[in-house]
Amino acid sequence: MKSISQTILLLFLSMSLFAQQDTTSALFSSMEEVVITATKTETKLGNVTMPISIISKKNIDQAGSLRLKDILQEQAGLSITNGFGAGIQMQGLNPDYTLILLNGAPLVGRTAGVLDLKRIGITNIKKIEIVKGPSSSLYGSEAMAGVINIITENNGDKKIQFGARYGFGNPNLGWASPIGKSVFKNSDLNFLFITKYKKAALNFSSNAFYVDAISFRPYSSERITQPIWQFTNQLSISTPINNKNNFTFLVRNGYDQIKQNFAINNNGAVSTSFGKETNNDLNINSIYKHSFNENIKSSLNVYATFYKGYQKLNFSNKPDSSYIDEFRQHLYRAENQNDVRLKNMLFTFGAGYVIDQAHSTRYDNVESRKQNQILYAFAQHEWTLSKKLILTTGVRYDHNKIFAAAFSPKFSFRYIANKTITIKGSIGRGFKAPDFRQLYLNFTNNAAGGYSVLGSIDAIKIIQQMQSLGQISEIKYDYNKLSTLKPEFSTGINLGGTVFLNKNIQLDFNGFRNDIEGLIDVRQVATKLNGAQIFSYINIKNAYTQGLELDLKWKATKQISISTGYQLLETADKDELANIKAGKVYIRNADGTSRLLLLKEYVGLANRSNHMGNVKITYENKYGLFINTRLIYKSQWYVGDRDGNGLLNKNDESGDGYFLINVAAGKDLNTKLKLNIGMDNVTNYQDVNYLPNLSGRMIYLSINYTLK
Amino acid sequence: MKKSTIGILAMAALIFNACKNDEVNNVVVNPNDFNVAVSGKIVTVKNLAADTILGVGAMGPYGAGKYTFFSLGTNSKIASTDSATSNWDLAFAGTTIRINAGTSGPGNGGAFVYTGTFDALTTVPIDSTFKIDQAPTYAITKGSGKGWYNYDGPTNLLTAIPGRVLVIRTASGKYAKVEILNYYRGNTTPLSTASDSIKIYDSRYYSFRYTYQTDGTTTF
Repeated sequence: MKSISQTILLLFLSMSLFAQQDTTSALFSSMEEVVITATKTETKLGNVTMPISIISKKNIDQAGSLRLKDILQEQAGLSITNGFGAGIQMQGLNPDYTLILLNGAPLVGRTAGVLDLKRIGITNIKKIEIVKGPSSSLYGSEAMAGVINIITENNGDKKIQFGARYGFGNPNLGWASPIGKSVFKNSDLNFLFITKYKKAALNFSSNAFYVDAISFRPYSSERITQPIWQFTNQLSISTPINNKNNFTFLVRNGYDQIKQNFAINNNGAVSTSFGKETNNDLNINSIYKHSFNENIKSSLNVYATFYKGYQKLNFSNKPDSSYIDEFRQHLYRAENQNDVRLKNMLFTFGAGYVIDQAHSTRYDNVESRKQNQILYAFAQHEWTLSKKLILTTGVRYDHNKIFAAAFSPKFSFRYIANKTITIKGSIGRGFKAPDFRQLYLNFTNNAAGGYSVLGSIDAIKIIQQMQSLGQISEIKYDYNKLSTLKPEFSTGINLGGTVFLNKNIQLDFNGFRNDIEGLIDVRQVATKLNGAQIFSYINIKNAYTQGLELDLKWKATKQISISTGYQLLETADKDELANIKAGKVYIRNADGTSRLLLLKEYVGLANRSNHMGNVKITYENKYGLFINTRLIYKSQWYVGDRDGNGLLNKNDESGDGYFLINVAAGKDLNTKLKLNIGMDNVTNYQDVNYLPNLSGRMIYLSINYTLK
Repeated sequence: MKKSTIGILAMAALIFNACKNDEVNNVVVNPNDFNVAVSGKIVTVKNLAADTILGVGAMGPYGAGKYTFFSLGTNSKIASTDSATSNWDLAFAGTTIRINAGTSGPGNGGAFVYTGTFDALTTVPIDSTFKIDQAPTYAITKGSGKGWYNYDGPTNLLTAIPGRVLVIRTASGKYAKVEILNYYRGNTTPLSTASDSIKIYDSRYYSFRYTYQTDGTTTF
């Protein structure tokens, strides 16, 4: 931490030397852009008191991104994780701790805490806002590392637009060729329709996507293709009722179907399993806004979302049995928010009620409904003390029916030191409520030795039952720690700012530290008579993540812009750290002999890269031509304990650091017709073991036709 | 595929080593073979098969159910026909390590698991208590995280915990310190992404090192 704060100080000093006093450029005017996610009110980017970044529609189009995963993996400081779908790691925190919103309302349907970003189509959206740092003071649970808000276009000019894209790759052969057996294909069809009646806007879009996704056979390094079909339909109606009232209605449906056919190895006996997995998302959101006058505004938001994931597998060696895995989640939310402006102060306050329900074949019974009710209230005070200084204080209280309440305060500021330097800082609490899986899971993996994972609510009951039947051989020490789970809490500090080194160079920087308490982890609590382990969830770990983010935008010439981002990350489990310092942890040398572990050999939490970065170079001219190259770097990350000391150190199992290079180019042929061509993963980088879903080199061509 | 690659690599390594070593001596050690090497006071044993897996049945993987007996005094395996004698000091089958005492044999054995490094253990601490086998409880404690190993269900891998030393009183009442190095063939734990069949069939091959004090004192 010390080294990071020193680095920040140094940056401040060096930048104030560089800073010049010229304030007329495109970069400066970007500070005028209005954002919503940081404060839940429309605020100019330059006035936001916490780290925020925006991915525009243009960025998404020029990168040729189709799914949320595609574009997020090109952002510095965001890392895509691979278990249970593509998850997002922000500020070094697991995917469970980043809230993902669609127009301000939460998306549900997480598997093992991960919301699969491949499920979310982004071809017809307006922009994505990313807020880093704990945001539970506004958004409640899950907003511990930050918030990603996908904002759809609900207005816009009247038009009809068609798009089609075809892509292919042949990772085994190296150079992509569209012919041959081992070709991986993807295709995408896109339709957008915007019409207006008086002042009302209707916006409809539809997207169909097919991809030969690459996956791997469980417990093997053999790749298989996994054809995925994904459909997204989106409708919004936005209408001003009169000059004081505005109503917006949004409905979105996402459907995927994944075909599965692979060999599984059950303790050496191989059988083929085949079937399909489907995911169905429905989001319905209605927002009613009323302005009492210029200074007092109120809104009512009613939201419902339904998710159903369903997987059915049949086995070649057991034709009369099948495996069904089903998960359903329903969430209903009503929220009221009021904004009152009083001279130089803006008060935002509101309250809401959530009903969250789940069903799963992995709980005791798929028909039994698990339910939580949350009643919450939040308040925020934004105080513009002078043109230079803005202070924002906020707090939220969440009352949960099935576990402890959470109280989340936050304080942040923005200070304009001079025309070129702006400083921002925030400190806040974040939390994540235990999810249904951690409370109710009742899962036994018969395909891998019969170990069981039990949710904390039923674990004691089930183990006692098994004990009375003589099925338990041993109760572990951690069994005594089983109790009602509490939310996981974090305290996050962010300090950074923006510096215009000259009118064409903007540097954003941010140092962060998140201290997480009572992290829920899976621990063995008992052993069955046959030696299989029983695990459950306990609030047991304390960890921290800290680091530094840098983001440099340089408008080199009128046509060429360069942007580069970097994140330095350090993480640790505090108990592991204490054990190492106490000299209780040993490590193995290459020949297998052991010695004491040195502190510098400790690498912290799993699946974290110390260094991540990207460079993006774009050429764009006034004739509608663009060419870009995007380079993405991730350093080595550790995945598994090889030497048996129970923590991760430098000789443990790790994935190698790597570069990915993506290129794209496009041209507006006329006002209606647009062509894009691109190549992802130019160097054909592959890592079957640790990046199983990364396909090799892929080429695509897309065409867009717009009628106005 | 993976296995054959490893095989080819191992063969390449062998040929390479063979070429390199030919002029020095003609002994080429296959890294997967049983081998005992003596270097000063330290004896290193590689790939001691301990009831290795024969197949996978309804109850999971199974072996023949036979122990492999080993003498720390003679640095060699002992025939199972001698199981009722004091000729052996340690017997291995799966994760169970027996000592020659109590319910396991007629010897004067004893053992306990010491936390610390092999090198740092220069003398048996005075307050040590040697336990003896009383089946189903063994002097060298069984169970993940309790004795000398950790077992992880989800990855199906067993790792010997570093910094654990088995302090042994042999059948004849002499002392030895033993460090288990690995539980898998070739002294190498499979990758977590390796197939279950590699994890199963390569398991139960012990590599360990020890120092045996011939004069009967507790100093190594």
